[in-house]
Amino acid sequence: MNFHEITLDNGLRIIAEVNPAAQSMAAGFFVRTGSRDETPGVAGVSHFLEHMMFKGTAKRSAADVNLEFDNMGANYNAFTSEESTVYYGAVLPEFQDRLMDLLCDMLRPALRQEDFDVEKNVILEEIALYDDQPRFRVYDGLMGHFFHSHPLGQSILGSRQSIGELQRDQMKAYFDARYAADNITVVTVGHVDLDAFVKKVHALCSPWKPSQAGRATPPQPSPVGVKILHDEKIVREHLGLMSPAPTAQADNIHAAQLLAAILGDSTGSRLYYALVEPALVDEASMTYDALDQAGGFMTFLSTDPDRAARVLEIAHTEFRRFMAEGPTDAELAAAKNKLASAATLKGELPMGRLTAVGFDWVYRHEYLPLPQRIEHMFAVTGQQIHELANTFDLTKTACLALGPLENI
Amino acid sequence: MGRFRVTIEVTVTERFHIHELPNGLTLLGQPMDGVSSASMSVLIPMGAAHDPADAAGAAAVTAEWLIRGAGDRNSRQLNDALDALGCQHDESAQGEHLHVSTAQLGRNLPDILAIVADMLRRPRLEDDTFDPCRQLILQDLETLEDEPARKCNILLRERFYPHPLGRNVLGHADCLAVMQPADVRRHARAAMTPAKAILAVAGNIDWDRFVSLATQLFGDWQAAPAKPVDIAAQPRGETHIQKDTAQTHIAMAHASVTVRHPMYYAARVAEIVLSGGMSSRLFTEVREKRGLVYGVSSRYHSLKDYAGMFTYAGTRPEVAQTTFDVTVGEIRRLAEGVTADEMARARTQLKAALIMQGESTGARAGAIAADYYHLGRLRSLDEIAAAIEHVTADEVAEYQKAFPPDNLTVLVLGPEPVEIVTSH
Repeated sequence: MNFHEITLDNGLRIIAEVNPAAQSMAAGFFVRTGSRDETPGVAGVSHFLEHMMFKGTAKRSAADVNLEFDNMGANYNAFTSEESTVYYGAVLPEFQDRLMDLLCDMLRPALRQEDFDVEKNVILEEIALYDDQPRFRVYDGLMGHFFHSHPLGQSILGSRQSIGELQRDQMKAYFDARYAADNITVVTVGHVDLDAFVKKVHALCSPWKPSQAGRATPPQPSPVGVKILHDEKIVREHLGLMSPAPTAQADNIHAAQLLAAILGDSTGSRLYYALVEPALVDEASMTYDALDQAGGFMTFLSTDPDRAARVLEIAHTEFRRFMAEGPTDAELAAAKNKLASAATLKGELPMGRLTAVGFDWVYRHEYLPLPQRIEHMFAVTGQQIHELANTFDLTKTACLALGPLENI
Repeated sequence: MGRFRVTIEVTVTERFHIHELPNGLTLLGQPMDGVSSASMSVLIPMGAAHDPADAAGAAAVTAEWLIRGAGDRNSRQLNDALDALGCQHDESAQGEHLHVSTAQLGRNLPDILAIVADMLRRPRLEDDTFDPCRQLILQDLETLEDEPARKCNILLRERFYPHPLGRNVLGHADCLAVMQPADVRRHARAAMTPAKAILAVAGNIDWDRFVSLATQLFGDWQAAPAKPVDIAAQPRGETHIQKDTAQTHIAMAHASVTVRHPMYYAARVAEIVLSGGMSSRLFTEVREKRGLVYGVSSRYHSLKDYAGMFTYAGTRPEVAQTTFDVTVGEIRRLAEGVTADEMARARTQLKAALIMQGESTGARAGAIAADYYHLGRLRSLDEIAAAIEHVTADEVAEYQKAFPPDNLTVLVLGPEPVEIVTSH
């Protein structure tokens, strides 16, 4: 396993983890932009733009882009979050050059008006699709409630109204500001021919201009209270809880991950034993969401409406108890082994490794081979986790409740 | 786009192992180089299709019940033991099987195998742990009401396959409401048997040691004959579930060939031409050109003796009919032939997916278990790649003519139904 970092003159960074034993290679363009970087008039533009990037360039039509990916048998897609937009593909090593030719070109899209108009309907469909998914509505609502006026509270999809009103020229202006050379990291992992890779990226991406795009990172607000999203059409009560957690740049991210696993993994966790095993909820999960200069522990619960208050009470009791006692040795050992298994399984696939290596770099300017990463995680002590729970106060939650209840 | 051809040489060396125990349990293994993990997939022929008629949901409840204590361990001890070994595990009911899957570091596989043996052979199935299991399945059923796309596809499968082969594995609320632990226990003890069961492992494994340990743990498990499932054909046509949803969810299925059928590979190529990637016909015509949907797809699915092509589209109610018509039209149009470019692309996609899937221990354990269930043997990547290479455009068109989207089973969940027009 060899790691390389190269920065082009225009500020575009290339990072590579080369593993000649892999059967495939993966590459991704990590653009440091998302809904948190949008001004109020263009809510949802990051995600809409992500769709438009597949609609062709000066020399490729939308159909060409799709055909070329499929001609290589590529595993490819893109995703948009509050703070990252990522375009990726995994192929057999012999297609590396063609994959990069396509991805580099795609990152300078034509943004044609007629494609913009058709794709707007697809975005509106996607908004409707998520309207039928309570779990997504809870996530979206909880982020908005927890972060309220902070940019991280801005919805990824935008609204029907904001998408409806969005103009192609506004998207173009956003693109020019955010998709600049110095705001993008090209990440590659797996069976990579590094020289050819760098040559290709250099040849195609050198003309891109830097913009020093930056990002506003105001302090994270304190969470406040319960918000009810009353919807009679929904049968179950879907609950989301969020409390502050270390930022993606903090030195205790492993402790935060372990804390979330001990409290809210899908098997054997405190919330599992307190809520799922006795069937008070059919789902309980807690995750650590590491964000740029911000962070949160997110807990999702799905329950019978008439039990919702009791379920929330029990979850809070578990948080308080954990803050008082910290983890047991057995819990800590199990959580470490579970995270090690998960990281190993994910790391065995170039596609899984791509996001791990990419986000480590984008957020922390840090590269660690997987075994070392796992070693760091194993070095965390129970006391560190216990302290973290108290420093951040797990009971300081914002709560969002979606379902038939009018109050809790 | 010009004419385009690629030949992918499959260079992955594979090793496969099959070992049948006298009691009917088949052990399958694929050691893989360069990985630390090992994944396991166990299929016990006690799926939802085998649920007693008055106890729909019994297999799903049993799957939950298995981890509530086994052998010397109570519920807490069993879960903690698996967690301590860093084991990701899942127990679930499928149509034809009870499925247990685990993923872990290879060095922990022996200890985890011993725990799985306890769960399968010595589950406690105690009265006082029964009710939460039953309640969880009931809640799953209720949650389904809040997930229209998932509900639509589950109900489609239920109506498409001969009853009870495709039934909703979560069963029925009426049955679950009165389900008694003694009845489910009796059913589980009789039906959980090594006869025709499959235990597959892939990844960082030592096959000889695995066989010897598995023989020790499962060799004296007594087989009992499985009861055959009585099946009844289902009427075709449309079912509309009226609901005030944001999208109209349209799911449809029509017959296809099973995995052992000579036309199987033609069916898989047809699936890819129709729906394998963003250049596929459905994606291009329904989403890219017309902007009717966010998601549209056709997926091949097979039970042992029945198979179908399952198509789903979620769309705004006002364009539901158009979406349905364009989608069915595209499936039908396959019979008019596919181009050489489409054939080349489909072959490349299938083979590349095969090689990339070959890097995942979980995917390989699942794939060899499925191969053995459907075919009674394991296929090498070479064999599959050669079979894909040999499919011709004529064969794909012939397949589509033989299995057109007529006699559709349609499930629409949303404000309004769609109209099925049969055109010839």
